[in-house]
Amino acid sequence: MNEIKPTKSIGVPTPLVDGPEKVSGKAQYSADFMPSDYLVGRIFRSPVSHAEIINVDISAAQALPGVKAVITGDETDETFGILPVARFEYPLARDKVRYKGEPVACVAAVDVETAQKAVDLIKFKYKELPAYFTSQEAMAEGAVNIHDHRECNIEREVDYDLGEVDEGFEAADLVMEETFNCAEVAQSQMEPHAAIAEYDPTRDFMTIHASTQVPYYGHLMLAKVLKMEESQIRMIKPFVGGGFGCRTECLNVELICALVARAAGGTVRIVISREETFITHRGRPETDVEMKIGLTKDGVITAVDFKVIQRGGAFSGYGIVTILYAGGMVFGLYDLPAVRYKGLRVLTNTPPCGAMRGHGVTNVRYAFESLLEKMANKLSIDPIEIRRRNLLLGPKYETLNEMFINSYGLPECLDWVEKASNWKKRKGKMGSYKGIGIACGHYPSGASKPVNWSGEPHATVHLKLDWDGSITLLTGAPEIGQGSTTMATQCAAEVLGLDISRFQSLTSDSKFTPKDNGSYSSRVTYMVGNASIDAAINLKNILIDAAAKKLEAKPENIECLGEVYRAGTQDEGLTFNEVVKAALEGTGTITVKGNFDTLPESWGTKKYRGGAISGSMAYAYAAQVVEVSIDPDTFEITVDKVWAAQDVGKALNPLSVEGQIEGSVWMGMGQAISESTQFVNGLGITNSMLDYKVPTIIESPSIKVGIIESVDPHGPFGAKEAGETSLVCFIPALTNAIYDALGVRPLDLPVTPDRLMELVENSTTNKEAAE
Amino acid sequence: MEYMPNFQLHRPATAKEAVKLRSDNSAAQYVAGGTDLIVNVRRGIEQPENLIDLSAIAELKLINEDKDGLHIGAGVTLKEVARNKKIVSKYQAVAEAAAAVAGIIHQQYGTLGGNLCLDTRCLYYNQSEWWRQSNDYCLKERGDTCHVASGGKQCFAAFSGDVAPALLVFQAEVDLIGLKGPRRIPLAKLYQNDGMDHLTLKAGELLTAVHLPKVLAGCPSRYEKTRIRGSIDFPLAGAAVRLKMKGKKVEDFAIALTGVNPYPQIVKGTDEYVGNAFDDESLDKLRDSVRKQAKPMKTTTVAPWYRRRVIGAVARRLTEELAG
Repeated sequence: MNEIKPTKSIGVPTPLVDGPEKVSGKAQYSADFMPSDYLVGRIFRSPVSHAEIINVDISAAQALPGVKAVITGDETDETFGILPVARFEYPLARDKVRYKGEPVACVAAVDVETAQKAVDLIKFKYKELPAYFTSQEAMAEGAVNIHDHRECNIEREVDYDLGEVDEGFEAADLVMEETFNCAEVAQSQMEPHAAIAEYDPTRDFMTIHASTQVPYYGHLMLAKVLKMEESQIRMIKPFVGGGFGCRTECLNVELICALVARAAGGTVRIVISREETFITHRGRPETDVEMKIGLTKDGVITAVDFKVIQRGGAFSGYGIVTILYAGGMVFGLYDLPAVRYKGLRVLTNTPPCGAMRGHGVTNVRYAFESLLEKMANKLSIDPIEIRRRNLLLGPKYETLNEMFINSYGLPECLDWVEKASNWKKRKGKMGSYKGIGIACGHYPSGASKPVNWSGEPHATVHLKLDWDGSITLLTGAPEIGQGSTTMATQCAAEVLGLDISRFQSLTSDSKFTPKDNGSYSSRVTYMVGNASIDAAINLKNILIDAAAKKLEAKPENIECLGEVYRAGTQDEGLTFNEVVKAALEGTGTITVKGNFDTLPESWGTKKYRGGAISGSMAYAYAAQVVEVSIDPDTFEITVDKVWAAQDVGKALNPLSVEGQIEGSVWMGMGQAISESTQFVNGLGITNSMLDYKVPTIIESPSIKVGIIESVDPHGPFGAKEAGETSLVCFIPALTNAIYDALGVRPLDLPVTPDRLMELVENSTTNKEAAE
Repeated sequence: MEYMPNFQLHRPATAKEAVKLRSDNSAAQYVAGGTDLIVNVRRGIEQPENLIDLSAIAELKLINEDKDGLHIGAGVTLKEVARNKKIVSKYQAVAEAAAAVAGIIHQQYGTLGGNLCLDTRCLYYNQSEWWRQSNDYCLKERGDTCHVASGGKQCFAAFSGDVAPALLVFQAEVDLIGLKGPRRIPLAKLYQNDGMDHLTLKAGELLTAVHLPKVLAGCPSRYEKTRIRGSIDFPLAGAAVRLKMKGKKVEDFAIALTGVNPYPQIVKGTDEYVGNAFDDESLDKLRDSVRKQAKPMKTTTVAPWYRRRVIGAVARRLTEELAG
């Protein structure tokens, strides 16, 4: 007889469970919901950057035949926003408009032509105010406040001093500082924003499908701005074409759609254009970083002092979190004995920024890794060696800001990339116009304190067991293409020892699935994975009890082999289906619940205001080597090869982990070499896929992925973050490689060919600039 | 992308019929592939009530070779131009230019005639209706200011077709047909230095074919464009070079540029090199001369100075390569 074994799911490369619908074109995204009687919604947007609203005359638009509703800021006086402390955005502008493209009114009409005609009939009267498009302009003396309650247009100032910073610099043998500028970038996810809202006037009930990463937060905001009970709103997240953070907060699109649907007493579909998606924005802010590091002659860090200014746009969004991450996440990668930080989040008359992949961390890490490399060169220490000399003193290390670090695979990541890239033989010896560079990075596995503290568990998973032995996994965790549903299924399947084909899933429908905070800050694998394990353990216990009863044995003597439950090796046992029948007899189908909560030790520091941000249950680590060649005539940059090692704790699904790391590299490459949102007088001039330069497949380098498994003690089967860390490393690894190739160091992002040409030409006339 | 407005679509079977449809209908435009025009229609830049789709006209899709040279129908797709063996072997720069247009999917729909008659492009023009309205439009469309050169009364929108310069170095001619019948002109005469009105086509005239002279067949040639990405992008600057050497000396030499002026431009002064060998000094002189003749303006997100520098470097590089 063959030995019976539970089926393994963890560590097995597994195609995504929602893949067949996507590749066959059957998957329904928000824009695909088109009931026969839907109305078309179109938004009237502000043509000016900053103005007091005098009047929005919608009378002619309302009178146009075929128009069913026209709404303005009068429709709701409730604000929305992700952070309770900075919730001051209206779905449609009320007192003022604060950026070009801000929604002012919305039309619902029988077809798109009528809707556009109505939009063209809206007369917008305003009194223009001075507008500020850079952080410096907005903070200048005498600047008008964009929001009355934010003096000098500072959304948040962060200031802290941990350890003995001045003494640290005094003890240093080498102190260097440098200023970096990172352009604003946008997610440019595949699917533009869309929502469809069906309002039933008889029952005063709203059903809404929207392209979101946070259906639960969306649900809360809909209830708030509509002034309806949550129970009267059903929020569904259908298939979503990527997010990368731009849908990490409720967007005005879904709110406006619901408001205009209620006003029209029917169903309204709003699918905004790519340009409007860029205007809705929530990307990574333009960031200025002044970085200063002190080193001993052996390359050991003695102190760090840095300042960050973020141009946040017209509303806060996640801004306060972003500026706190920028400070807090300087810790936890290397051993830093003293750190001083000043962060300024500035309000400007540009579209609001948000929480883009690598949130808050990316630009500071770029500055840090660039300057560290420059100093290593000065001290003639190999760039990998200098990083080794500053490693944390082990996984139980406590940083100055009290990070909860229990697994630390950075040393192994460095070893892997050093060997795989043949670093020692190639660094500095690549020949002219070719170079290699290295950098490291890290990222949390979800924020330990949720933005909306409600006392609810961080994550909940339901498993519904049916008579035929099938199990339905219900989770609010939004699958947005990252593979979260597959991950949650694998975790439950592993615990029960069953093949994942026994499982089906239902996700993100507020009427059926348990609440989940959403897909952001790399929280889902860690938190929802653990909740799924918990649910599966609870289900398994019920099945063991049922098997024990049937086999007349004690539960502790029941062995679960997945498809067979038996009392000892000599027992023939019961099949899974027999156990299921035994368990369901008399009670019917069973739904069990599993939860996950973070440990208070991981809630960050109380040493400064906002210290909870960057507190996480675990941190993923990465090292990356980038090989580059430069065209000597045009200075076009070609990324030839990338070696990306990431400590993901445990690769639950190596197939999607590899995909996440490749995607991170690729997205980092876009920010590094070609992407930036640009404005002329506050009007975005790069709001199309032609002018916003996301790299194409031709630019995509060969990427070798090294998965390092440090097995985090609290992670689901040891897993940690897998989708953001490797983005963070790419950018400095690239500029370090450019230095290796050309002997000049780019400071400003993106490193476009014209900037690089200018840098090289300046350096030949001015040797100073070349370091 | 904005929504598609309503229009009447016509699909004539002959070039003559197309010309008649164009003259019979108000606000009519030809569509020869549509990869550029449809984007402009969706953006409200073009508001045709009638679109005359040329894709059903068989006579526009022929490629013939005779004693005079190679004749390519204007409706031949860019993919076909890029892969046709005769074009690849005898007029290499033309095939390279077609292969460099946008991305492979555009090349499947885009046609030779469409690429030659491509509208000029500018950062302030190729934007949505809302965008242009918020920016008070511009000289080229409904406005009275040029945002590229403020106060200027000339439009600097850049010609951005890839294939024209490659055809120009081969002294190509084009066939046009209008209500009064057909005519043939040198391709160079199809263009003029005006971003608002860069084509010399008479009202309703249709470009039907391109002729490449036999005498230049097989003459070594190259085309290269600079762009941020290796696909999709229009040229920031592009150069076609045709160079025939006799031993170490130049026998016949032509360069044409795209992306740096409102029209595809033949570089002046290449005759000076005939009879001489290239060395570093003369190649540098050539580079500097190309830079002087190119006049890129702030019509793209990339700075004009870079486009000027790079067009010289590319022309020099291609010349050096062809000189062997």
